[in-house]
Amino acid sequence: MNEMTMPGRQIGRSLPRLEARDKVTGRTEYVHNLRLPGMLYGKIFRSTVAHGRIRNIDVTAARAHAGVAHVITGEDVRKVIPRPFYGPAFHDQPVLALDKVHYVGEPVAVVLASDPYVADEAVQLISAEYDELPAVFDEVEAMSSQAVVHDELKPAGTFPDLKHLQGRRNTNVALDFHLRRGDVDKAFATADRVFEHTFRTQQVLHLPLEPFVSVAEPTGSGITIHTASQSPSFVRIEIARLLGWPENRVRVKVPYLGGGFGAKLYIKLEAMVTALALLVQRPVKVALTMEEQFYTLTKHASTFRIKSAVNKDGRITARHCEVWWNGGAYADIGPRITQKSGFTAPGPYDIDNVSIDSYSLYTNLPPAGALRGFGIPQLVWAYESHADMIARELALDPVEFRRRNILREGRPQATGTLMRDAAIEAVLERLAERLDWNKSFDRGSGTVRRGRGLGIGFKASISPTTSIAIVNVAADGSATLYCSTVDMGQGSDTANAQVVAEVLDVAAESVRIVHPDTDVTPYDMATLGSRSMFHMGNAVRLAAQDAKAKLAALAAELGLPPGSNIPLPELFRRKYGMQAGNVIGIGSYVPTYESPNHDTGQTSNATPYWMIGGTAVEIEVDTETGHVRIIRIINVVDAGKPINPKIVEDQISGAAVMQLGFTMQEKMLFEGGQVTNASLADYKIPSILDIPPMISEAVDAQQHDGPFGAKGVGESGTFALSPAIANAIEDAVGVRVTELPITAEAVYRALRTAANDPLEDA
Amino acid sequence: MKPPRFDYARPDSLAGAIALLAAHNGDAKVIAGGQSLMPMLNFRLTSPRLLVDIARIADLNHISAGADGVRLGALVRWRDIERHPTLAKLHPLLVEATSHVAHYQIRNRGTVGGSLAHADPAAEMPGIAIACDAQIIVVGRAGQRTIPAADFFVGALMTALEPDEVIVEVRLPPWPGERHFAFEEFSRRKGDFALAGVAVFYDLDGQGRVIDPHIGAIGVTSRPVRLNAAEAALAGRAVDEAAILAVAALADDGLDVAEDIHAPADYRRALLQVLLERALRRAARLPDAEQTQ
Repeated sequence: MNEMTMPGRQIGRSLPRLEARDKVTGRTEYVHNLRLPGMLYGKIFRSTVAHGRIRNIDVTAARAHAGVAHVITGEDVRKVIPRPFYGPAFHDQPVLALDKVHYVGEPVAVVLASDPYVADEAVQLISAEYDELPAVFDEVEAMSSQAVVHDELKPAGTFPDLKHLQGRRNTNVALDFHLRRGDVDKAFATADRVFEHTFRTQQVLHLPLEPFVSVAEPTGSGITIHTASQSPSFVRIEIARLLGWPENRVRVKVPYLGGGFGAKLYIKLEAMVTALALLVQRPVKVALTMEEQFYTLTKHASTFRIKSAVNKDGRITARHCEVWWNGGAYADIGPRITQKSGFTAPGPYDIDNVSIDSYSLYTNLPPAGALRGFGIPQLVWAYESHADMIARELALDPVEFRRRNILREGRPQATGTLMRDAAIEAVLERLAERLDWNKSFDRGSGTVRRGRGLGIGFKASISPTTSIAIVNVAADGSATLYCSTVDMGQGSDTANAQVVAEVLDVAAESVRIVHPDTDVTPYDMATLGSRSMFHMGNAVRLAAQDAKAKLAALAAELGLPPGSNIPLPELFRRKYGMQAGNVIGIGSYVPTYESPNHDTGQTSNATPYWMIGGTAVEIEVDTETGHVRIIRIINVVDAGKPINPKIVEDQISGAAVMQLGFTMQEKMLFEGGQVTNASLADYKIPSILDIPPMISEAVDAQQHDGPFGAKGVGESGTFALSPAIANAIEDAVGVRVTELPITAEAVYRALRTAANDPLEDA
Repeated sequence: MKPPRFDYARPDSLAGAIALLAAHNGDAKVIAGGQSLMPMLNFRLTSPRLLVDIARIADLNHISAGADGVRLGALVRWRDIERHPTLAKLHPLLVEATSHVAHYQIRNRGTVGGSLAHADPAAEMPGIAIACDAQIIVVGRAGQRTIPAADFFVGALMTALEPDEVIVEVRLPPWPGERHFAFEEFSRRKGDFALAGVAVFYDLDGQGRVIDPHIGAIGVTSRPVRLNAAEAALAGRAVDEAAILAVAALADDGLDVAEDIHAPADYRRALLQVLLERALRRAARLPDAEQTQ
């Protein structure tokens, strides 16, 4: 037997992804390829104003266009969904605009036709008139602006810390989160030095190469939704709520995804296709174009003012964090980012006196939600840039400054929760070692200067959330896993198969995975926030252990001695007299959690586990153009004990490349709320030629309550790349960039300004 | 998106192509490699009724060199130029500029004639045509005419081509072996259109003074341009660091430098100047930038 087929020792195997062959040979199922008999295609007519009351929508010409089956507006939707507002935190988002539009690109009407191109032509024939209202685009201005995006706040009721916002008017604040620890005022008053800086990040988006797509199919007794979603269980519950149906009349099926990154969470097109399909009683598909992704979900732009009190030996004694998150027109999951990520805003440092004010703001821009890191990269950008700026001012080595302040195992984080299984120090030290930090470094000369920099960040897992898994052992001994984790490219099928295989002592390749189908696979909160390996991994382990225990019980029932190695087919044959029956193992996992105190943000149990990610870079700046060449990137994370080391490495490097785009190039540009670069021609994501040499590794670590010591890793590579690059640029050429992206133009402009010769048009 | 509905024809002769174009009176487009036209169709920025594919027309993919210079057929692809056994000697500026064109996939299909006809202000081939005083040979209903590059590019994506005309060849004047030259460009990512680019060449007289300098620029205005003030300043000078700085300082003289979502005008002007410095240094075989910092 070779290693590929040998049972046992399945954990720590770099097993190639189970689906890889099907994917590269074009056999993998995607919703984009699904066609149902009688299916209509929907194309969306979108708002052209950023904020306005709808005066009139003229669909006459579109309805008359040859081949058009139906034209549907927001008022029509009410016939099947009387209160058509959805969202995970606020019920603020209508299926199609009602009364008002809140951003340019908001869906206003849909044309249905059996030919999508006919539908698209007809969309061009729709016109709408709006009474324009003042709009607000900047997150800091939104705090006090006269322009108010929503007339009234409508919390969903799901989250206790949003309930007090019910019915609030004349505000754009969708959540304010506060944390108070120690005596910040006193520490600032007695500090040797005080540093204050403001950092900004830009609005970017996920851009999965598979754009959003959903199909709804009315059945006699309910509705089936085929959708590229990261959260099938949420979709089922939310669609059932909108329709006033029991969950079991809504079936949600999810095949593989061509990327998600946090975009395909909660409700995106699912409510729209449901309403359309029920209105016309035919299957309806809505598949967005690449351009339309720019109008659907984005990453929060942010402003972070950070202020630190530091004593003369380089210890941080107090930190005050003010963060404003630009949530766009609909809250989506933004309020969770404001709180969940907000409480890590002081960084992985041991600071006795901390205050945090974190605000989720509505603006008239496309909505923002979760994007690979859930707000953490925006925070790390600020606190790790700030760290180097302080170290530089104090003439301290940046690594040494971090060592003096680092949050060590067992010490309380800003929430008061004690750090456990958080290899922050190990990550920092490994970065310094990999970077040869203590060795001399060729700093370049003339117009080409070299620098290096690093950063470390951390993230709490979302909590408390539930995963349930079923392991079915058939009469021939083969095992099938039923779970609602969505494999969107992160390799969860393979890792979950390895967990089942380890427990049942079979080869991981032999385990079959049943993809999310809410009629078949049990509940899972969602595939997000690097939660699946820990939460679902634990549920899968428990389900496999349950199956194993039931097999042992069956053996005992048949009079076999404990630990009998009877082949499973023989066991089933003895029980049922033939190849028949099965053994079902069930695993359910929900970690413990304690809600933070509303006024102080303090809790003894803020998170089930911590994710740690650090990046170090060497770069070269062309001082005559501002071009930054990245010589190498080193990513080090704490992922616990990797189940599949190769997939972990790919997750780290993939996350880093994504963040590299957000750091160096990507930015959604707007004119009066209208995106002006909504295509892959104008919006520059990294291509294969833009990826520098990279090392990605996990430190030797163990998550004590993770499945076989593992925990999540999908986001950790995004945390610290941006400040590492900005720190390296200052190291190279002495200029500090405080706003993303760090384009060549931005660096060049900063160099000219530093040389007292600013570029004229600035 | 997919393109709007169109008809497709693939004539075997130039006369056939011209007849089709003429019959459609501006509502037909020539397609060769399709590397600019297909994206425009897919984005529905253009919707011609007919595409006339000239791929099967004989004798449009020749590369030849003689006493009158280098001739490139309209269907010559970037890859043909890169791989050509002698072109790197016969016209090294062309070969160097071609290496900056987009990515492998595009270089395998994109054509010289297509790039000239598309007339993107940031594309390399139009810049080379302008810098080299190329002649563009076109054929239409009224017969063949030769258009100097300076008259060919009218504006962004606009040329002097009539709706019934097809580019058949571009002629680059002879290239002496001892010529000094360089091509420099700066783009946001590898293979992107240039934010600015510069082509420089000149010869030297017996005293080492510049004769007849040519400096072309792409990406900075609505069409490829010659930098007349810089050329005038360079003519008759020995090329040393002082001359380079003086010439490059005139790079944007008299230019209406364009701004778009990828870069504002001030940054493009700064890039143009530094690219010209670099090109002049490399052409003169001087060392890279001074140790000024």
